Amino acid sequence: MDRIAAWLHEKNPGLDGPIAADEDLIEARLIDSMDFLEFVDLLEKLSGTTIDLQEVTIDDFRTLDNVQKRFLAACP
Amino acid sequence: MSTPSITALPDGGLKSPGAGLITLDPVRTALLRGLDDLLTGLAARLGAPEVLGPPLLSVEGLARLDFFRNFPHLGVSAARFAPAALDGLAAGEAPGDLPLRPTGHLLPSATCYGLLLSLEGRDVGEEGLRLSASGRCFRNETHYDGLRRLWGFHMREVLYLGTKQGAVEHLEQGAGFILEAAARLGMELDRAVADDPFYDKGGARARLMALDPVKHEFSAPDGTAIASVNRHRNFFGERLDIRAGSAGPAYSACVAFGLERWVHAMVLTHGSPERALDRLHDAAL
Repeated sequence: MDRIAAWLHEKNPGLDGPIAADEDLIEARLIDSMDFLEFVDLLEKLSGTTIDLQEVTIDDFRTLDNVQKRFLAACP
Repeated sequence: MSTPSITALPDGGLKSPGAGLITLDPVRTALLRGLDDLLTGLAARLGAPEVLGPPLLSVEGLARLDFFRNFPHLGVSAARFAPAALDGLAAGEAPGDLPLRPTGHLLPSATCYGLLLSLEGRDVGEEGLRLSASGRCFRNETHYDGLRRLWGFHMREVLYLGTKQGAVEHLEQGAGFILEAAARLGMELDRAVADDPFYDKGGARARLMALDPVKHEFSAPDGTAIASVNRHRNFFGERLDIRAGSAGPAYSACVAFGLERWVHAMVLTHGSPERALDRLHDAAL
């Protein structure tokens, strides 16, 4: 999850402090729509799996908690 | 003293100047104006003052709103003839082949852009701000189709800027008004998730929008979308440094009406422009 937090801070240089696990990353546009596919790429690298956008919902990406559960649960 | 009678149109009516360009006849014009008056009821209900947006938008401002990343194909440019061409034009040369120079401005493709750009750097407070405007909008399309798809058309918008929750409520109120206004006019509309006409339909923005729709359209029975509700999250607030008091970058949302499409839908529903106008008069009473 550190890599994800680092990516979010890199994309949002104005962001101070840690990102809460339940913060809405989509509504707050911490994942800007132009960067969305880059975020999916990052998750694919970290999880070692392919993410089919036909099989996910936006809520899977909405919070760090959800991202952890949906994509990274199997990660050490 | 006699009252002059209304001048009748010549046989054949008013000619259309070309594809995507239509001169509205008197009955359809009355319909468009009357519908706009009725739809302004949303602005009145929400306390949104009426403003008039600028007739041209700077390409620099539009670039900051990612307009060209998203919709490079839609932009209708305002250009002027190169100075070297002026003598030839004045001497009667055909204008079609003469060079044009860009002015750094585009005709608006949506009413809200000019309003948003006018609020750059402003603080709308946590109570938020609403503005209502109607304007002619222009979009290059691959095909044109009567009043359903025009090169230039009238778009009324009621724009909100403020908090995240305020934006949600604005769209709820807008959606309720659209259905109520249509019902008064004898029309049933279908609400459905919609796409903006992105140039890159497989791009990141289009893919995210497919997962998390930010636009809903309301369509007449023939499928013509005549109104929409659109949420922008805090995109415009961030890009233009528009703040909502201590809530940070403003969230924004807009309710939009395509007026020529309302005219089309009314004629479709009621069988003729005259009957549609009668129904509009009844609804407006």
